[in-house]
Amino acid sequence: MDNWIAQTDAAARDAGFGARVAENQRRVFQIAYGVLGNRADAEDVAQETFLRAYRKFSSLRESEKFRAWVNRIAFRLALNRRRGLSRRLTRETSWHALETGESVDGLRDAEQRVLLDRLRNEIAALPEKLRVVLQLSIVVDMDANDVGAVLGIPAGTVRSRLHAARKLLLEAMK
Amino acid sequence: MKNDCAQWKDQLLEAALAGSVPAPLEDHLRQCTACTGELAALRARRERLDSLLPLVAQGAAPSPDFRARVLAAAEAAGESDGASPWRAWVLGAATVAFAAAFVTLFALRSRVEPRVPQAELATAQKLAEWRAPTDAFLKTPGQEILQATPKLGESYLPVPGKTEGED
Repeated sequence: MDNWIAQTDAAARDAGFGARVAENQRRVFQIAYGVLGNRADAEDVAQETFLRAYRKFSSLRESEKFRAWVNRIAFRLALNRRRGLSRRLTRETSWHALETGESVDGLRDAEQRVLLDRLRNEIAALPEKLRVVLQLSIVVDMDANDVGAVLGIPAGTVRSRLHAARKLLLEAMK
Repeated sequence: MKNDCAQWKDQLLEAALAGSVPAPLEDHLRQCTACTGELAALRARRERLDSLLPLVAQGAAPSPDFRARVLAAAEAAGESDGASPWRAWVLGAATVAFAAAFVTLFALRSRVEPRVPQAELATAQKLAEWRAPTDAFLKTPGQEILQATPKLGESYLPVPGKTEGED
């Protein structure tokens, strides 16, 4: 009887966790991808994020809590990985993605791909504070409050840094 | 843009980003075709930037089997995590059971042990203190001789040696 109850609990927990993964996986992956610029490393970080969330799932059952927690952990793990692997890390471009037969950005237009690669380079050249805010702000489903929660800064600061970043990019992308 | 229009550069960028033009810049634009052209170019660039920026990250998605891999890894982690608390529970329960059994046995034993009445205890005490009457003889003179164990060649009693001229 106890065994049956334990199995039912585990199944319910796994079902709830699976739903949370489905809701958050794209955003979590993009947060890691924005920092690392590399698909394989971003997937590793996303997976590690969800495994950590699984271990703490009893205290993260609430959807918003889970969402905020995985956003923050994915970002920190990605930063740690970038520091640790800075020599090895290679930033993918849309061309690299095309060579592997995968469409990272879904673009078909070659000119737009060139522009996108150029934009990625310009983003990489931004000051750290502005770059991080921009990278998180362009992630799907992330508003200024979400970005502020990840970075531990007010939403107003996020907006002003985002404005500054866009201004620098506008000037650079002549 | 003319050289004397350089002072308007920052305001042109701000106008392109914000979409609204402040009054002083608007006055300048009425009389400066270069800056008007620059603002139009900046606005076009801003639109292109706005369309490209989301594509930098938002097109990126994990591989199709990502969720399945995460769930499999979580299940494996759950099993290995679950094993140690289970072992700890078993060990803990065994320790508690052993302690409970020990305490129960001790309690039962003390309950089963016959209780000796006070009268019997007093009698036993008296018996323990009883001394045989013959003990008195041991305290009589000469008891040292009776208790001593002489060594080979020695006498029970010290025999005085012969003196010279006794013969």
